[in-house]
Amino acid sequence: MASLLVSPAEQDYITRGVEKGIRCDGRSNLDRRQVTLRTDMISQANGSARCRTGDLGLGTDVLVGIKAEVNTWQPGEPEDQGSIVCSVECSPSAAQEFEGRGAEDLNVELTQLLDRILNGPQSGIDLQKLCIIPKQAYWGSIVDTLMWATRAALLSTKLPRVVVETISDENGDTQAEFDVVDDPEDVAPLEGADNLPITVTFNQIGKRYVLDASEQEEAITQAKITVAVSPKREICAVQKGGILQTAQRVSQEELKRFGRAVRGGQGRGGTGRCRGKHRLDIPQPVLIS
Amino acid sequence: MDAGASNIISRIVTPGTLITSDNAYMRGHGTFAEHESIYSSVAGAVERVNKLISVRPLKQRYGGEIGDIVVGRITEVSSKRWRVDVNARQDGVLLLSSIILPGGIQRRKSESDELQMRSFFAEGDLVYAEVQSYFADGALSLHTRSVQYGKLRNGTMVAVFPQLVPRSRTHLHRLPCGVDVVLGVNGYIWISKHVSAAKVEANAEHMYSDQNELISDEERETIARVANCIRLLNRMYVKITETSINFAYESSLPHAVKDLLKTDIAQELADSVKAQLLQQA
Repeated sequence: MASLLVSPAEQDYITRGVEKGIRCDGRSNLDRRQVTLRTDMISQANGSARCRTGDLGLGTDVLVGIKAEVNTWQPGEPEDQGSIVCSVECSPSAAQEFEGRGAEDLNVELTQLLDRILNGPQSGIDLQKLCIIPKQAYWGSIVDTLMWATRAALLSTKLPRVVVETISDENGDTQAEFDVVDDPEDVAPLEGADNLPITVTFNQIGKRYVLDASEQEEAITQAKITVAVSPKREICAVQKGGILQTAQRVSQEELKRFGRAVRGGQGRGGTGRCRGKHRLDIPQPVLIS
Repeated sequence: MDAGASNIISRIVTPGTLITSDNAYMRGHGTFAEHESIYSSVAGAVERVNKLISVRPLKQRYGGEIGDIVVGRITEVSSKRWRVDVNARQDGVLLLSSIILPGGIQRRKSESDELQMRSFFAEGDLVYAEVQSYFADGALSLHTRSVQYGKLRNGTMVAVFPQLVPRSRTHLHRLPCGVDVVLGVNGYIWISKHVSAAKVEANAEHMYSDQNELISDEERETIARVANCIRLLNRMYVKITETSINFAYESSLPHAVKDLLKTDIAQELADSVKAQLLQQA
């Protein structure tokens, strides 16, 4: 994806560093960069969040807005539930390769991933139509950041109360009508948002996997796997990517080893709620082997 | 200096800010004139030399000068030349005739050299070079005709603001912590394991090799620490010199390498480096 050039000597340096567990910025393979999360950034939206992965105010930056819309039911749609419509856009001011139609592939890929995670039975949200427009401003570890921001935005989403009235007409048939209460105070949080999954992406470099790859590491990544995990430790979605297809066997072993390391060393993942400006505890990956 | 003049300088402006409507001044770089007033066209600090007003941008591309030592990345191999990304407005050019061919400085280039240019430098390779001249269109012509210049190995690159790297007599420094840094004036900085000059000269045939030397875990840690020190100096807008890197490295020792880029630690280190630099001056 990234058009970043890396020389063979640099590639060798990074790969051997990852093998030894010392990455170019001193992190070990399982260390993340700083994650900053802010909710309620957009006043016009029902819910919003901005998440940044990276040190010193640089790095991947995702802004998510949630907009609730009342939709008329169309034949063929499930009768008792709404859906979440996702749209991911990469800002052309973020990187040169996003100029023009450059970001289209990435937009589609991320949109579909988000769509699959949110609209499956595992996300547990059955409400009205929601629209999500994230925007990103840099490179490296984008999927995880996107998912955190989306999760936080949905958690911060407050929907107006809806009053349903049953009226019987002259023929004696009953008809349901509803009113959306126009009071900004009279709102309720989105039900089931607590159960939203987060994603953990592993990038394979050499024979090892790293978490939260930097821009350079992403450029030399041979394969990557994204796992979406819910707070109940259920795997909700898995996405594989990259050029090295034969990496599957290695990935299984490595994932198991990481699962052990994470469970042994760090325990449960912290995916707490956020209000206002918070520095989120570095979300620990929750892994199930 | 009259009161009006002191109002003009030492100000931070954004594009479109009115600097002065006094028509006694002339407009310099980073400004434009409209309705007999001078406005800023960039974000930066206003500077005044006699009657000339200019704005020095906070963020800019590298503007090359002949004799500058730069670190560049090969972006394209074309006939008899390489295109090199040097963080400038346009790519620099490295001519086949401006490099040392393996087998000695005296060797003349042959047709077979033209055919195997990729075996010297391929796309993505990093080169340590000197600015030789300008082309008519402003592109920089580089050369590597010295044993110390050439391909970079055994380390990692950090990109910083070019204006933070001052021009100096030497740009290849061996730091006391045992790490070599090449401070490219164009803002590309190469941090690598120290390899002695004698060894480099002895291995003249391998000057275009991509093979890294064996690097121990301690050396990797030190390289990562120096790299993070440079990243934080850049972010905190501190001049990047051998001295400032050394100060940052010394002050960073109590912290773990991966913690250096945490906001509070980075701020503390940058403040301590600034204080030490002031004390020295």
